[in-house]
Amino acid sequence: MEIQNLLKNNFLLFDGAMGTMLQKRGLKGGQLPEGFNIHSPEIIYDIHRKYIEAGADIITANTFGANRFKLKDSPYSTDEIISEAIKIARKAAGDKLVALDIGSTGKMMKPFGTLGFDEAYDVFKEQVIAGKEAGADIILIETISDLYEARAAILAAKENSDLPIFCTMTFQENKRTLMATDSITMVQVLEGLGVDVLGVNCSLGPRQLRPLIDEILKIATIPVMIQPNAGLPILRNGETVYDLTPLEFAEEVKSMAQNGALVLGGCCGTDPVFIKTLKEALRTITPKKLDNRKLTCASSFKSTVIFGKEVKVIGEKINPTGKKKLKEALRNNNIDYIISQAIAQKETGSDILDINLGLPEIDEKEMMKRVIMELQSLIDLPLQIDSVNPDVIEAAARIYNGKAIINSVNGKTSSMEKIFPIVKKYGSLVIGLTLDEEGLPKTAKRRVEIASRIVEKAKSYGIPEENILIDCLVLTASAAQESVMETLKAIPMIKAKYNVKTVLGASNISFGLPNRKIINSTYLALALGCGLDAPITDSTSEILMDTIRAFKVIANQDRECKEYIDFYGQEPKRHKSQEQKIEKDLKQIVIDGIKEEAKLKTKELLETKNPMEVVDLYLIPALDFVGEKYEKQEIFLPQLIRSAETVKIAFEVVKEKILLNGDEKISKGRIILATVKGDVHDIGKNIVKILLENYGFDVIDLGRDVESEKIVSTAKAENIKLVGLSALMTTTLQSMEDTIKELKNNGILCSIMVGGAVLNKEYAKTIGADYYGKDARESVSIAKRVFDA
Amino acid sequence: MERHLNHYNINRNKIDIGIDKEEVLRYLGYEGKKVDDITDLIIDECIGEILEISRTSFIYNTYEVNMERDVIFFKNTNFKIKGEDISNHLQNSKKCVIMAVTLGNEVDERIRYYSKVDLTRSLIFDACTTAAIEALCDWVERLIKKMSIKAGYKATTRYSPGYGDLSIEIQPKILRLLDTQKHIGLTVTDSFILLPKKSVTAFIGIGKDVKSESIDCRNCSLYKNCLFEKEGDSCGNSKPVKK
Repeated sequence: MEIQNLLKNNFLLFDGAMGTMLQKRGLKGGQLPEGFNIHSPEIIYDIHRKYIEAGADIITANTFGANRFKLKDSPYSTDEIISEAIKIARKAAGDKLVALDIGSTGKMMKPFGTLGFDEAYDVFKEQVIAGKEAGADIILIETISDLYEARAAILAAKENSDLPIFCTMTFQENKRTLMATDSITMVQVLEGLGVDVLGVNCSLGPRQLRPLIDEILKIATIPVMIQPNAGLPILRNGETVYDLTPLEFAEEVKSMAQNGALVLGGCCGTDPVFIKTLKEALRTITPKKLDNRKLTCASSFKSTVIFGKEVKVIGEKINPTGKKKLKEALRNNNIDYIISQAIAQKETGSDILDINLGLPEIDEKEMMKRVIMELQSLIDLPLQIDSVNPDVIEAAARIYNGKAIINSVNGKTSSMEKIFPIVKKYGSLVIGLTLDEEGLPKTAKRRVEIASRIVEKAKSYGIPEENILIDCLVLTASAAQESVMETLKAIPMIKAKYNVKTVLGASNISFGLPNRKIINSTYLALALGCGLDAPITDSTSEILMDTIRAFKVIANQDRECKEYIDFYGQEPKRHKSQEQKIEKDLKQIVIDGIKEEAKLKTKELLETKNPMEVVDLYLIPALDFVGEKYEKQEIFLPQLIRSAETVKIAFEVVKEKILLNGDEKISKGRIILATVKGDVHDIGKNIVKILLENYGFDVIDLGRDVESEKIVSTAKAENIKLVGLSALMTTTLQSMEDTIKELKNNGILCSIMVGGAVLNKEYAKTIGADYYGKDARESVSIAKRVFDA
Repeated sequence: MERHLNHYNINRNKIDIGIDKEEVLRYLGYEGKKVDDITDLIIDECIGEILEISRTSFIYNTYEVNMERDVIFFKNTNFKIKGEDISNHLQNSKKCVIMAVTLGNEVDERIRYYSKVDLTRSLIFDACTTAAIEALCDWVERLIKKMSIKAGYKATTRYSPGYGDLSIEIQPKILRLLDTQKHIGLTVTDSFILLPKKSVTAFIGIGKDVKSESIDCRNCSLYKNCLFEKEGDSCGNSKPVKK
């Protein structure tokens, strides 16, 4: 490829700012800069020419904001702007290169915003295709704050063109983007996706960016690009100017070039003089080759786990095999339960979470996508996508905002042919299981052979060793005792041969034996001693985490025993609450909202009382009492909700008991709750939800910004009698009305209750709702009425 | 000679805004009523956490303005606003500052997280961030006032889309004018909701002879549904009226 050759021995010089130049040529505040391609092409041409004359090797076409959202109120289409812009640039460039410039969509992506991944992809795809057809030489994706947006744009560029991709993100002085991505995470994810050049542009001057760029130059293994601003904006004689002179700018950028930056240019405040001066400065130096070693890393959108330096724990609990409650949650679309399991693992020391949702009776792919979307926004741990179905893996890897681990591939040719293309495309890590067509090997030697085959085959797909984690597979000691140690022997053999890391699911070892814990923890300790990098295990198990913490001290990974002392230094305190006798009765605990005591007290009560007695004699009366106090304004919302949460905890215990007894469930009815399309406010909806649950209703919470189709289809599939809709803005009431219409047009025979700050009874009626809930307590009365009728 | 106004400013650094606990209690409904110990403790914890994790970003720019009846034209831009209330508010202004302020995505993330693990805390956290964004707006407003006075002018109070007859549908245009997405990460949805959620845009008029008192509640578009006004109180952006 031409670009790769160009980058071998030369600096590549980009142009400077377009916006700054356009402002000097009459661009008004709020005006569309891309409009100049159409109404004043001569100005654009002239600016490009000046940069070419200054010595730029690549000029950036005036297409930064040429996406369908930003052009919405203009008379132009994406195609029109891009084809004109590239035409002008092409004419100005002569034998130099032209970059299609792609900036942010301007919208915030889900789940914080409302722009979905697929929609973002489509927006970028339109730009990519227009740019390719107009004859751009490279695609420059720049000034991106949201890693998720960068992913969508890069995938759109890769899947719809063969052009080289340069991608730069924008950072703040705290060395994170506005959406909190740090430099190592950017490098891992962008390199994984296969961009040709990555880097940093805009927001700050070269001096402020230096610490960040130094960090990137220490980890990147592909060419690094920098386009800083011309310093920081200051006010001079009533004009905003940037504080660096062209010479100062050039000297700063030059010294970064000496440290290894290869593609250089300017952003806000730079002009052809800056570029010319920079060109001059670069004449005296030659490019420095980066010789960073590839790391084995998994990343969420804002944090990265590096394997190899110390033991990392992959939490195994989100896997329905043998877990009754998780199965039940999956069948009932109860995402909250899965979230609670994820949080419990994070809090007990998991570094990465394995996600396996394979259950025959559910749509695994849809569930996987939903869970990934939820978890990646709530928890900053990287996720491990675990499925036997390549379709599920691909769907999850595509929408995952980070660098995931794929679990798994094995030595079978068919498995490798299906999984490796996905691993390569999304730049994931992959777990290779040492089994093949002949099954699970008995010896260490055979394991090494299979691992070698996996690694070599991966390389043929362009997947580096560093992106592979080998699992040497444990056999249960009760069934195949003689081969247990073979697994452990294989670990150092494989690590000596390749620069791969190793994982191991270590809980199967004790299957069928009593006192499994001690077998598991002993085996884990042995495996760690053999060089295991990351056990796939249960971090909520104290003994296993004890073993890992102890190992980290012994292996000199936990420097100065800090983690160990922090954790165990206060041991006596940790168990105190469990030993204390709780004096208050459950009713009082609910009234006072003492969440920590509810579980134990409920368990205690259930020893002598049956579950329904606990509900009817304690929980409901306490709730009613609290509710009345709230009505009388003796207590306020935070206390009401705290009591409700206390009841919820007690209820969980009661439900577990009922499940155990095999009694019938105590559902008073099933209710859908959703914040309507376009609205992202959900506090009110969440309050309604917990109160309804407290009174024994099952709530299907569809979340916020919910499409009417989703509400209709769920209501239909689940045969729902009551739907609750929430909207907080005058601008989203329309969408509430539309949803109600959709429900009625589809013949869904359910009652509809609505609520939200801008609603009132009359308005609720006009838009076709059956009930208006002025607050959460009211929604409980409505539900009682609907289900008692 | 008139001195120049610092007409452009971007801040992404930490500002010590201070969060008024009384204000938080008011948002939670405890107006002068006794707050229980647990709630009180959670409020303190939330305030500490917010001061630590929130960004205090803002951007503002100053424009010369011309008024023709109820339309205000911003010089050297293609931006204009229309409305009797805002025209009235900006009466006699020679210049107008447009500001955009945000606490950033981190607090939204945290509210979401708490809503899954501790609903009570998410509710209280949300109230504290509302107080925080108000405090940040006040801070920026004071800064602009101070500068205006130094330069020999007076400044009006801030006036945001959604007050009076100024629709929130103006938000995308304000954001584009200030390029807020690039500078402070502030975006707007198709339903005109600002994201990150704890964000505000506002106008401040500057001139020798501008009005500088608060607006009247009756001018607010939320007048009929205002939660505060029912209690004879106000959100702090306006002067309460007796119904």
